[in-house]
Amino acid sequence: MSGVGALPFESLQAWLTAVGDHSYYDILELHGRATSADIKKAFHDFAVACHPDQYVDRDPASLAAAGEVFKRGVEAYQVLSRPATRAKYDANLAKGKLRYVEGEQEQKKAPAMRTLEQIAKTPRAKQFAVKADRLISVGRLDEARVALVTALQDDYDNDELKDRLAVLYEAMALEPL
Amino acid sequence: MSIAVGIDLGTTNTVVGAVRDGRAITLADDGGRRLIPSIVSFHPSGKVLVGDTAKDRRIVDPGNTIYSIKRLIGRTWGSDEVERSRRSFGFELVEGPKQGVAIVARGETYTLPEISAFVLRRAKQIAEAALGETVDRAVITVPANFNDPQRAATKLAGKLAGLEVLRILNEPTAAALAYGQSSGQNERIAVYDLGGGTFDVTLLDLSGNVFEVLATGGDTALGGDDIDQLIAERMAMHILENHRVDPRTDPSARATLRARGEVLKQELSAREEATCELNDVVRGHGGDLIPVSFSMTRAQLEKLSGSLIDRTLETCRFSIETIGIKLGELDRVILVGGATRMPLVVRRVEQYFQRQATGRVNPDEVVALGAAIQAAALNRAARGKAKAPEPPARPASLSPAAPPSHRVSAPPQPAAPRAAPPGPLLAAQAKGAPSVPPPPAWVGAAAAPGPTAPMPGSSSPKHDTIVQSEAPEIERAEMGAGSFDFKLELPAPPAGRAVAPGAPHPPGPPPAPQKKPAPPPAVPSARAPELLVPVAPLPAPLLIDVTPISLGVEVAGGFTDVLIAANTPVPCDRTRVFRTASDGQTAVIVRVGQGESRKFAENTTLGDLELSGLKRAARGDAKIAVTFEIDADGILNVRAKDVDSGRETGAKMHLLGTQTDAAAVADMVARQQRHTVG
Repeated sequence: MSGVGALPFESLQAWLTAVGDHSYYDILELHGRATSADIKKAFHDFAVACHPDQYVDRDPASLAAAGEVFKRGVEAYQVLSRPATRAKYDANLAKGKLRYVEGEQEQKKAPAMRTLEQIAKTPRAKQFAVKADRLISVGRLDEARVALVTALQDDYDNDELKDRLAVLYEAMALEPL
Repeated sequence: MSIAVGIDLGTTNTVVGAVRDGRAITLADDGGRRLIPSIVSFHPSGKVLVGDTAKDRRIVDPGNTIYSIKRLIGRTWGSDEVERSRRSFGFELVEGPKQGVAIVARGETYTLPEISAFVLRRAKQIAEAALGETVDRAVITVPANFNDPQRAATKLAGKLAGLEVLRILNEPTAAALAYGQSSGQNERIAVYDLGGGTFDVTLLDLSGNVFEVLATGGDTALGGDDIDQLIAERMAMHILENHRVDPRTDPSARATLRARGEVLKQELSAREEATCELNDVVRGHGGDLIPVSFSMTRAQLEKLSGSLIDRTLETCRFSIETIGIKLGELDRVILVGGATRMPLVVRRVEQYFQRQATGRVNPDEVVALGAAIQAAALNRAARGKAKAPEPPARPASLSPAAPPSHRVSAPPQPAAPRAAPPGPLLAAQAKGAPSVPPPPAWVGAAAAPGPTAPMPGSSSPKHDTIVQSEAPEIERAEMGAGSFDFKLELPAPPAGRAVAPGAPHPPGPPPAPQKKPAPPPAVPSARAPELLVPVAPLPAPLLIDVTPISLGVEVAGGFTDVLIAANTPVPCDRTRVFRTASDGQTAVIVRVGQGESRKFAENTTLGDLELSGLKRAARGDAKIAVTFEIDADGILNVRAKDVDSGRETGAKMHLLGTQTDAAAVADMVARQQRHTVG
């Protein structure tokens, strides 16, 4: 049995160090025209060599390293075994992107620091803007949104405040509540 | 070294198996029973009864006799299944810690993992008596569709029972392992598993010794018990119509009807019509027991349970569509679970899959057999750690032919020149590869459509290619010698003499018999033909299982953003970068859930992930990379790192329903020790 999970710790570790520079095709040792049957076969071979269950008799460090290696193979397999994700991946790979990220979005540069309190103009709006600032700072975005909407009800033609609400919505779309 | 057992912890029955003398077998108690009813009864004496003795107490002491815990384990208080059970169960359910469920018996409150732990302790006892050895490691099976808290709670139950849980294994996968071992062919298999309380369907691809789960689906609240309940309802209606007494108002009568319903259902699997006497169920207005006789035909039962079976087939259809294959592309259908003994189930399944089903021999025990095989495979770790003096080396003929140092079974190289595979995996360190890994190469030219120019500054380490060309031959040698042989060592060693297990490294045979002599193969037990997994030397089974349910986080508008999709092989992980949304924000809260709905509220909320201690910065500038890992047990682990500094940041997962607090676990362990189990 040890014949299978037999890669020395150093090999696994070195593989992990370098994996960031390899495409999914490299990871599974496939060529660009591989068929779905080729991909399946390659993944099985990869699993036989790297699945952590093949390393249960080894030292904990090797076992953990095999787990990390295997997870990268799973990532490659998941993307390459579906025609839709594979096509997207291939297109990105042509641009030099080695790792597939679903729905990847370019990050926008954050505008200058200005608190909602500073932006709000009416006293009542300021009162809720302060609350929204505080909620945002602890990550409770949904409650912050409610506070900001309330602030806007009193300060309804404050365009900068409306922009910040839009930004908050956007942030919530990118990030969890 | 201790033997590791496989335990099928069922809703209705629990079965324990082990690989002994190279064979996977199920173990019987001193009365010869292999099915341990998963029922726990708190006796006035303080003793905790488990199994048949507890089952008898379901009628005389319904308030302190706990059953069907698997339906509730890992669920949150207030969920539909818990509410339903509160109405039908004869014992008291209360809200437990972390919005979980607990039960009350004899004035004391127990969480559900504690109840399951009593069942597991009984299984451990039976195994130790049957094997004559200490058992402290186990593979425990769960329905494939169990979610994170259900798996975590089951694992905790194992720990409370004093077992090191080597793996939480999916039941249908275990069944496929037990059956698939014998075929040795390349097949596509469907496993239809209808147990007491859960239904699962799993589609697998078996090639050589690799079992790859393609898809799994199911219903954790549908099983044979529901059919018993339907029959019990009919019985109650019959009594109400004929005697104007409603037996459902009395917990004890309700329990009796369910038990009789189960017996009637089983009888109807063997004959067309059955009758049962319900003379001890209800009393008339004068206080005397009313004699009642209830009959049912198989046709009536089939009409009654038809819609339940339809639901299972609908799940099958969905799973098959998920992986995009046609029914005709399946080579085999395996039936698992006691409820598949019903002729209706067999008929409908065969009709649906358009082929004859296998596995009708002992659907109750096959999961435990598969779990035992996996336990033996994973228990190899113990060999290296064992404190006992090292056993003698294996006979030379069984030792691996070559020191394993290469990747096995490299696929044939494509015609186009391959610059470099992910080199280091193949780098032969022993052959003098540089201690610093060579710069990895960009392999765009042949490996991928797109750029043909290598990236600047990269080179291709030559030795990789050399090693790889050698691989195929090594593969054959290793596969032969390193095979995981369940073979019986022949001839049987003299009594009292240990069969030589393997050297500590590389590991030898699976948990080979250490004390017990191998029984002569010529005298198999009476049930042997049904129970044995073939003894031919088989290659190590390698299971590539999947996570059954999508894992996601909640995003704006109450939607789910899927991080790890259902049917992704495990272990796997996914890293997601979270940014602060506001200037100066120092904490982010992320809601994590499991389910297939786009609407987060319709999925199961696992809990809140709190990322704290972020540096104060302009919004968007504090970035935290959170890695969500699903381990081989299907259980979620989370860790977080500050993207800029690379330092770990505070990440706390506030899980619902799962007790992870060390002090609380210690309390539960202490409580287990106060009770003896029998």
